[in-house]
Amino acid sequence: MNDKDTQNEQLERFMRKAHLHKPSDELKKRITAEAAKTWNQISPELSWQIPIRRLFVSAAAAVFVIWLANCSSDYALAQWQSGGLEVAHQQPSDLDALPEIHYSPLARHLLSTGRKPSITDASALRSYAETVRRILDEAQQNGVSKPPAPVEGRSLLLPKQPGFNSYS
Amino acid sequence: MDKKLPDNMLQAALARDDPAAVELIWARYAGDLFAYLQVVLCSRHDAEDVLQTVFVKIVQKRHRLAKARCLDAYVYRIARNEAFRLIGRRKKGRTIEAVNESWLIVPEGRQEPDDLAEQLQAALANLPQPQREVIVMKIYKQKTFLEISGLLGLSQNTVASRYRYGMEKLRTLLENLIL
Repeated sequence: MNDKDTQNEQLERFMRKAHLHKPSDELKKRITAEAAKTWNQISPELSWQIPIRRLFVSAAAAVFVIWLANCSSDYALAQWQSGGLEVAHQQPSDLDALPEIHYSPLARHLLSTGRKPSITDASALRSYAETVRRILDEAQQNGVSKPPAPVEGRSLLLPKQPGFNSYS
Repeated sequence: MDKKLPDNMLQAALARDDPAAVELIWARYAGDLFAYLQVVLCSRHDAEDVLQTVFVKIVQKRHRLAKARCLDAYVYRIARNEAFRLIGRRKKGRTIEAVNESWLIVPEGRQEPDDLAEQLQAALANLPQPQREVIVMKIYKQKTFLEISGLLGLSQNTVASRYRYGMEKLRTLLENLIL
């Protein structure tokens, strides 16, 4: 370490044999004259003006950015809306036509489960209503309140679902 | 640098918009800034032009300078920015190494080789600019690592390591002259 320091000192001494130019009097005159000219030209900048100017510039920039974002959003939304409405109008009534559209596996699964007939579909309700009416008619005709025997182990009050007993 | 003139005196002159502040700034900074710019730009003429620009900038920003926490660092930052701006402009045309202009001088009457200044200049020009500016401030302006770190906005360790690496390279480059 000391050896390095000694070497550095030796090199420093050697380098100090030369020196850098100092600014000449002519250069001093030229530069101070130019600086004085600038000093007189520029009106003194009041310190309170600086933050206010910065605030205005920031506010203008923020308004511009928001306006730009709104324009961009409106443009993108307009394109989407027009496309979306067309899709809504062209939605097929027949669900079997849907697989032609490219859905993801999850969407396809949801569509297929959604196509299963509901328990409360029209035919089931109709048959349920007829059964109830028949039971009531029979009860009125017989004048007794004995309920009819259940058919195939099921309550007659429950609607008979198509396909539920297809295994038997 | 004229350290007899305290920061607050100079800043007070700037704050009250006194044109005499230009002379005070010259007395305090011109020598050091000129040396610094010559070394960064490797050209005396470019250093003169940039020094003028720096002084104009100082005058334009005098109210900010009047409130600056570290006046020296602020002034050096202006000089550094202006120097790099010029380097960027001239990079397309000529490189720093291609500048063939004397910015180091050997006093007359010394028993030294005729081309000593040229060789030292060439060796310094071969150093990376960050190492060069630290070495010149240390050797030719007798500044401490602490002062250099304050002026350049670097840590003392960074300044010291740049100095060490630069000196090693210089030793290799000037091996024949030293022995």
